[in-house]
Amino acid sequence: MRKKLVSILMASAMTISLMACGGGSAPATGTDESAGTAAESTETAGDTTEAADTTETTEATASSDTASGEMTEVGTPRNETLIVETQTPTDVPGQFNTYMQGTTTGFGIHQLMSAMMWEMDTAKGEQFGEVADGMPESNADFTEHTVKIRQGIKWSDGEDLTAKDVAFTFNMIMNTPNIGASDYYNSIFESVEATDDYTVLIKTKESFPRLAMKMGVTIWGNDLRIVPEHIYSQVDDPSTFKDENPVVAGPYTVKSYDPLGKWVLYERREDWENTTVGVVTGKQCPEKYVWFRYLGDDTTRQMAMIQNEVDILCEVTPEILTAMMSSNDKISAWYNEFPYATSDDPCSKGLAFSEGQGAPYDNPDFRWGIALAMNFDEISMNIFDGAGRSSPFGILCNTSAFQELYAKPMLSWFEDFELDLGDGTTFKPWDSEYKNRMAEKLGITGDDAYLEDMFGVGCLKYNPEAAEKLLIKAGLEKKDDGWYFGGEPFTINLTYLADTEAQAGRGVQAAYDQLTKFGLNCNISSESSATWDANGGTGNYEIAGYWPTGFITKDIYSQINGYDADLIVPLGEIGSGQGVRWNNKEATDIIHKLAKVSPDSDEAYELAQEFIKIQFTEMPFLAFHSGVKFVPTNSTYWGNYPNADNAYNGPWWWWSCFKYIMTEFTTN
Amino acid sequence: MDPVQMDALRRSLRVQFGLEGSLMEQYTTFLWKGLLHFDFGPSLMSYPEPAGKIISTYLPYTVGLSMISTLLAWIIGNLIGLLAGFRKNKRSSKILEGIAICLYPIPYFIVALVLQIFFAYILGWFPLTTTINSFQGFGVFMASLIKSSILPALSLLLVGTGWWIISMKSLAATTSEEDYVLYARYRGLSEGVIGTKYVLKNSILTQVTALAMSLGGVFGGSIMTEIIFGYPGVGTLIQKAILQSDYNMILGCITISIVAISTATLIVDLVYPFIDPRIRYS
Repeated sequence: MRKKLVSILMASAMTISLMACGGGSAPATGTDESAGTAAESTETAGDTTEAADTTETTEATASSDTASGEMTEVGTPRNETLIVETQTPTDVPGQFNTYMQGTTTGFGIHQLMSAMMWEMDTAKGEQFGEVADGMPESNADFTEHTVKIRQGIKWSDGEDLTAKDVAFTFNMIMNTPNIGASDYYNSIFESVEATDDYTVLIKTKESFPRLAMKMGVTIWGNDLRIVPEHIYSQVDDPSTFKDENPVVAGPYTVKSYDPLGKWVLYERREDWENTTVGVVTGKQCPEKYVWFRYLGDDTTRQMAMIQNEVDILCEVTPEILTAMMSSNDKISAWYNEFPYATSDDPCSKGLAFSEGQGAPYDNPDFRWGIALAMNFDEISMNIFDGAGRSSPFGILCNTSAFQELYAKPMLSWFEDFELDLGDGTTFKPWDSEYKNRMAEKLGITGDDAYLEDMFGVGCLKYNPEAAEKLLIKAGLEKKDDGWYFGGEPFTINLTYLADTEAQAGRGVQAAYDQLTKFGLNCNISSESSATWDANGGTGNYEIAGYWPTGFITKDIYSQINGYDADLIVPLGEIGSGQGVRWNNKEATDIIHKLAKVSPDSDEAYELAQEFIKIQFTEMPFLAFHSGVKFVPTNSTYWGNYPNADNAYNGPWWWWSCFKYIMTEFTTN
Repeated sequence: MDPVQMDALRRSLRVQFGLEGSLMEQYTTFLWKGLLHFDFGPSLMSYPEPAGKIISTYLPYTVGLSMISTLLAWIIGNLIGLLAGFRKNKRSSKILEGIAICLYPIPYFIVALVLQIFFAYILGWFPLTTTINSFQGFGVFMASLIKSSILPALSLLLVGTGWWIISMKSLAATTSEEDYVLYARYRGLSEGVIGTKYVLKNSILTQVTALAMSLGGVFGGSIMTEIIFGYPGVGTLIQKAILQSDYNMILGCITISIVAISTATLIVDLVYPFIDPRIRYS
């Protein structure tokens, strides 16, 4: 009797566990609303959106089974499905409203569904209108802006996207305090109204020449995503509306999602020609389904890529990339051979000095001393075996666009730049030979233009003698047992973010080796993301591997306006500006002037050059390389990915411009 | 933002995060809301989603995986351990013990990696990472869940079994030399009866206590297994919460673990008299 009881209890426990797993997440059929199937009928606004249900999926499965025999784990034909890795899973599956906190925008939401006012051609470094029909027309003092809206774009429920949707979105943000950007919008905009179906008049409180740059995409994306008025005007609070069945203007809608937050399956809209991408380009994305999935740890990602279970990974280390390439010849990256990576990610990695800590970190001589104490060639080899374009331009990142627009035209200034070493001598820190040394060391051949694209136009010299003089000028004292500052032994604490951003972490580790070799006493430690983020804002670090850069357009204002000294808050507080707390009046004056100048004007360009000179002289951030990204693709099922030989765009799968990149893919 | 609005927002956030009132009042609120109603406030990393709701999404998967693998490991391990301890001089017992000794010290995540590489990567029999298909009906859901759970469960099962074998073998070997076992042999009872009625019954008591502790611990998840197989469990949730300083989530997961272990201990105390007559009669 007792045995039977125990057996029954154990069987019940197992059954309950399995039922519990299924109960909250799995539908019995496509009609179960708790299923996380977002592509059911959407009746929020009175319209009904027909979308794929289980029956359709089964049919698709059956027909494709006959065609190729290969299916994905979510039941779509493999040869019609582009599988893209997402960097993080989401804890709020089914939440597609990007105005609600916690939404994982990079889970395909802004890549496939969002409607941006202005998008970015990352190859040219130029913006173009997505929802907007061209760039805004502004009055002379940039306080009134007329924006034309593209005609022909429809929401996925068949409604037209008009100026009313645009004006509604602006006003929704301004009238909803819980939306993060609300304060900012209220400080900028006087009013936003639709003057007719396809024209919006935007009035700003002060001169605002960069409407398109601030409200459109310049790099990763933009927080302004136009929403359908007929849906969002029906909800009480847009900041708490999950939007599980999103009505979108982008080329894809949600077909289904994992209630556990590990994947989202998107399906191409039947009326693709009425979507943002369809109207802008006239092209159809060839992928019927796009499956964004989270793969987990590096080993699993690697094995999944080799087994053709994923077409695009976000980013890997060079070691993982070469291991994968040696196992599967369909895997490649930006370059098929060394350096493999693209160096056009606009986030330089290097060393940020927390100037709020006071002396010596707030002293340019100290920062330059640190710069010259390190051998950049060795640092470069330590980070990614020499791969990457040097970016010795402080907070301005050396993307291809920057190199052509600023670095090369200003090269003679950099070459002639001299440092006062404090003992009556000067030193020119610019080193133009880096590209040639690296090419020789790594066996790379090519003309100057090729090598400059790969390694950059120059770097900072390694000169321990000059470094020593600069540190002494900054108030440090060298004794037999090490360096002293203010009579006390001097120690530098170096920190970096644990686990992620290999380039930044390895850079700090390499710097630690170099500075220790130079004779400075250093500690090094890693931090979890929460601590890292908090310390970055409050300035609670000495030297750390933050990446306070981000630049891809000719106009640098959006990149530098955070360095306005007026925004600096005391150490320990989090403000709206820079964490490094670089306090420079000249730079701040330029930022203020730039704010009122047209981004396309010659004056803006000249002011930008002046700013670059000031911040190079002060070196508030010591950058090593521009953002070096090893982004692998697998051409077993899909081809024509952008790469160095076919650079129609950058490999930015996690940016909002991905939907335009996808139109160029081909089936293999 | 208008200063009045700002004040109202600050006040509502303080209430939401349980920061209103004195320390004692906050503690009482936590006991009432957190301990009794599992309301731990909003998750900080997925604000404003309640931490309790997120935990409740993942908990069934963790419990399902760990509970089944723990129970199976306990049953299999004890049976093998009993054989190895009761018939300790037989060759088969020595082989079984040898296998257990080899398995037991291997960290479970190494076993997990080996299983993943062999069965998922090389042979391709199982998915590399957990993918649960929940939109094509219950049958497809269960099939995908079971297929995705086999390797994680096996990795926990193998190592767990090794531990139970060793501990049960030791207990059974000691019990086998007790006077009452010798007496049973003199009485001419069969080896099967002696093994099950005399050795197993007296050796299993310690194992039941240990099982209860293990079952209580399953609510904490198996972080490395979950990470390797991308299994959606509480272990990875705790890890993520710690990395992102989501205190409400950490508090929620730990509270549930504490309650689970305490409950398991209580259940053992209540069940013990039914298993051990000495306690019942005393």
